[in-house]
Order: sequence, then C-alpha cells, then structure tokens
Amino acid sequence: MLNETYAEIQDILNKAKTDHLPKLNFSILRNVIVEPIVPYLKFLAYKMGFAAEVRMGDYDNLVQESLGVREEILNKETDSVLIFMKLENLSWTVARNFTALRTGDVQNEVLRVQETISTILGGIRKQTDGMILWHGFEFPLYPSFGIWDSQIPAGQVGTVVDLNNFLRKALRSVPNAYYVDLNLCIARVGGKRFYDDRYWHIGRAPYSREALCEIASEDFKFIRSLKGKSRKCLVLDCDNVLWGGIIGEDGLSGIKLSKTYPGSPYYEFQQEVMNLYNRGILIALCSRNNAEDVWEVFRTHPDMVLKEEHIAAAEINWEDKATNLAKVAANLNIGLDSLVFADDSEFEVNLVRQAIPEVTVLHLPNDKTVEYRNILVSCGLFDTLTISVEDRERGVMYKAEAQRKQLQGQAPDLETYLRSLEMVVEVKFADDFTLPRIAQLTQKTNQFNLTTRRYSEADIKKYMEAEDADVLSLQLADKFGDSGLVGVCILKYSEQKAVLDTLLLSCRVLGRGVEDVFVIQALKLAKRRGCEGVIGEFCPTKKNAQVKDFFPKQGFEPLSRSSKEAKETYLFLMNKPLREEPSYFKEIRSLICE
Amino acid sequence: MMLKEQVFRIISQVMNVSSEEVNEGSSPESLERWDSFQHINLVLALEEEFKIRFTDEEIIQMRNASMILETLRNKGVKT
Repeated sequence: MLNETYAEIQDILNKAKTDHLPKLNFSILRNVIVEPIVPYLKFLAYKMGFAAEVRMGDYDNLVQESLGVREEILNKETDSVLIFMKLENLSWTVARNFTALRTGDVQNEVLRVQETISTILGGIRKQTDGMILWHGFEFPLYPSFGIWDSQIPAGQVGTVVDLNNFLRKALRSVPNAYYVDLNLCIARVGGKRFYDDRYWHIGRAPYSREALCEIASEDFKFIRSLKGKSRKCLVLDCDNVLWGGIIGEDGLSGIKLSKTYPGSPYYEFQQEVMNLYNRGILIALCSRNNAEDVWEVFRTHPDMVLKEEHIAAAEINWEDKATNLAKVAANLNIGLDSLVFADDSEFEVNLVRQAIPEVTVLHLPNDKTVEYRNILVSCGLFDTLTISVEDRERGVMYKAEAQRKQLQGQAPDLETYLRSLEMVVEVKFADDFTLPRIAQLTQKTNQFNLTTRRYSEADIKKYMEAEDADVLSLQLADKFGDSGLVGVCILKYSEQKAVLDTLLLSCRVLGRGVEDVFVIQALKLAKRRGCEGVIGEFCPTKKNAQVKDFFPKQGFEPLSRSSKEAKETYLFLMNKPLREEPSYFKEIRSLICE
Repeated sequence: MMLKEQVFRIISQVMNVSSEEVNEGSSPESLERWDSFQHINLVLALEEEFKIRFTDEEIIQMRNASMILETLRNKGVKT
C-alpha cells in the first residue's frame, strides 16, 4: 500500500522538519500494545501536511483514562481518539474459551462488555470533542465450536456481531464518533498475516506490521475527511485505462472493452468509476487523442459503462497533461489538490508528479490491467464521513449547470439571465437534518470561505445549542433543479456584537448574488438579536483569494489587519441602513427573521 | 560486508542516529532510543528488508547489533 519500507518511513520522519506544520493530536486508548502503529500514523499525517503528535494511554487503562484521570491524554486539543479495545483482554472467555460458557454466562459477559463500552464512550465525550475512531471487535478466525458455531443462534461469531452492532449504535448516538471495521482490514490483509503471535506472547502486541499499516490507512480515510482533504474529482486517461488499446489506431471494434476477458478488467474498472460518480465524485477526462474519436466510443460502444453525461469536464487534445489537468481544475472550480489522476503511462505519471505534485496520481500499469479496479477501490482518497443527498445528486446538478451556462450565453445581460433562472433561496436555522451537510461544507469548502474553519458535527451541534451563537443554512433552487444546502453562516455573540465566525458558499452557486442575500439576512438577524455591530473576519488562505474584498463590497469598514494572526477584521455598524436584497430572485424565504 | 552495512543502516534509521554511530556493539545500552518498543520496530523493519521471519526466541536473544548479524547469517541471509 505504501511505497516506503518501515525503516524508510522512520528515517523520513526523523529527518522531516515539521515545526511549521499544523498539529494533529492523536490519543490512543488501548488494552493491547499497538506502539508500532505510531510511525504509520505520523507518516500518513506528514503526507497530508500535518505534524502528528501521538499520546499513548497506559496499557489496559481505558476506563480510568476515559473518565479523566490523565488530562494530558484527553483534552480540548485532542483531534482524534483511537480506541483499541481487544476482546481477548476484555472478555477472555468470549474471545478464546467460548466452549466454557453456558447461555446465561454469555448474556452476562455481553452485558458487562456493553456497560464498559457505554462508560468509556460517555467518559471520552466529556473530556474532548475530538473525533473518536473505535476499532470494532474482531471475529475469531477459528470459532471455539468449529463449524457448529455457524449453525447455532448465539455462537461465538454471532456474539461478536451482536457486540459490534451495540457498539455501532452507541457510536451513532455520539457526535463525531465512528466505527472502524477491523474485520474489513483483516479480510484485506488476510487473517494469518494480520496477527503476529510472537509479539502477542512476548508483549501483548497482537497485530503484524502489515496489519498496522492497513489499520492506520483505514483511520486516515476518516482523518482526511475530517480535515477537508478528501479528493473531489477523478481525472481519467482514456486509451489503456477505460478500454484496452488505442482508439485512434485500433478503432471502435478493435479496442478491448466487454463483460468477458480480455475486455472485462476495463468494464469492471468503469463500474467502480460509476460508484464514485454515484457518491458525488466528479469524473473528468484528460487524454491525448482526437476528441471526436473518444466521444464516439462514449456514444456508441455497447459496453461503455460511463456515458458522456457522467463527464464533468474533458481535455482531449495533444497538449501536455499537466497543463490539461490545471484546465480541468479551473473548469470545475476546484483546487489541484482535489484531483486524482489515473493513467497507464509511466511517462505521463512522472511528468504530472514532477510538474504538479499537488495532484495525486494513480499509476495503472499496462501489464496489470486485472488490478485496475483494485488499485482504484483501495486508494481510499475519495472517502467522506457522510454522503449527503447533495453528493448523490451532484452529477445531475452539474448537468443543470451546463444548461444554465447555455442560457447565460443567450441572455442579453447578467441581470436578465439571473432573473430568468427563477431562483428561490431559503435561509433557516440549522436543525438535526441539516447538521451533517453543514459540518461537511465547513470541512470541504475552500474558495468562497471567509475563515476556512473546519467543524465536526459535534462542534456544529454545540453552536446550535449555545445561547450565544446561531448557525444558519442557505438552500437554493432554480428552474433547472435544486442545488440543495449550499451556504453556511455561524454568528457568535458577545457584548452587543456579532462575529461572523463562518461564512461560506459552495463553489457551484457563485456569481448569482446568493452571497448578498446571505449577508443581508445575517445582518438582519444580528439586528434582531440586539447587536450594535457585526464583525466580519477574513482569514486568507491559498485558495480563498476571491473573497478578499468581500466585506468592503458588502459595506463593512476595515477594522484591523493583524499580520501576526493572518486575519483581517471588518465592522458593520447597525445604525447604517441595510441594503435591499437583489430583486432578481423569484423568492427569498427567510425563516430566521420574520 | 554488504549485510553489515544494510543492518547498520536500518538500525540507524529506526534509532535515529547516523550510521557512523552504529557498530557491532550497538545495543539498548549504547543507543538512547533503543527501548523495548523500538526493538519491535527494528525487528519489523529487518523482517521486511530481508523478507525473513524471526522466531520468538530469536527476537528475545538479539540484544545487540552483532547478535542480529549472527542471527541473520544463521538464517541464510547473505546480502
């Protein structure tokens, strides 16, 4: 999975300068030895641009630590708590000596384990809002009753399933807490290679190096999403990636693409691409070809899974791929670091890695076409903590966007165009239904984001319930479709002032005056809350340059420019008259002020 | 000679010292970071590098660099 050896990873970490990187604070609570996972966690963090600190709880001290006996383990600075609570050290009989248990004994053990889970989970949440990643219980590779175990209602494997179901449910009821499926990790690595019985006996360290690498990689799918680093777009080469052969030479009937060998690896690869599309990942093309040749395959080849309508952007020409990838990113209004590029040519792969290292490259080697699908599904780069309705409809929304662009081309001026969209905007307070999407937007929005503060669902929930804060959401629909929840604003109040802690809009609704409506609504709310002024904050990043003049444009006065904090503040005094909302909206529904 | 250099390099990488500081006598007593946890990491790195598997007894007995070299040679590792 990783290209570097274990020794190289440690060498890289020893030599790396990480002082300037943002911190990522892990705390590990465990009842087994997992220390060798630390280099993997630190290395994956380093590759993501973070400096990880890992604090280890004492051996088998989970309950006490979750209740707060060691403040340095769980506190406000904790980003993520990893729980390794292995069944062997919690209920030896259930894990290893199941044949000795009577039905009633099993029930008692299960209840005891469930109580322990609840105590630990509740305890941790009192100490920290950090993301909890709980590694679930593992199935026995060889159940104590042998094949009979699968035939009885409450066998050993069944008991582990029940415990995991209880754990999942408990984690769902706590914000920012997630179940990590170790049984999936075991299946991928293989049970016999997953465990290292030598170190289990020498020092109660159960997992092999390979296992720890897989577990750390799985954990980082969560961390990446939490930190807004999940990739958004898969850019595909065409020849020898989507089909075998070269369309310009082999022709439509000569390329390999079918449900049976030798075209099946390409067919199954395309199906996985479609799974990503259905999850809301943008699919783009970047190919050296005649565009017409490629589109002909999309339109007429009977075994093409991907259709023209699934492609959000395409650069099919004879220019170099680095230039074309930059065009794709610009076209889709996303950063280069949101792209994953898949290509079979070692030359192109190296060129892109050299020229634009921000782009992640998946090399699909020509002699391993049967592994294409596996390379894509195992990369984990696109994983997100939630998949919202907006995500699942993204493909349709991009199509609507294309129709809007067409209409814009026909309209005599911008306002006529905007009016013809028949936009309906709705601003309301956050509720339990909108909470996941709101947190998701704070985690992934980079461009129209004034402060780029990343919040978990737990953070948002806290602001929703707080007396001195409001969380607003904005939804937009027009005659081409529903864009869903696309804006978030968080106001914090103190001493007759409101601070715009967060103000963001999804990049696909920019340029339609939605931001004007949102700010005016927020100002109206602040006025109703009795504020005399509203402070706007702008924290510049590499990606949000387009909003650097946002507050002056909205009538705010510059207040300070603190170079140390890299934060600019602006003030809007409430004795100033509020602007009118743009008249070209068909309807502005405000559920916060009226 | 190659084997020795390779082993010294891995020890230096895992224990975070320069390879000149590593010699046949290097051990938990002479290298600050070489504790029981770092010993696991060293064993895992050696196993990956030489594609071998130590027995539990070998892991316990390899208490310094020269014993690591001897164990590797006994297992037929050459380069």
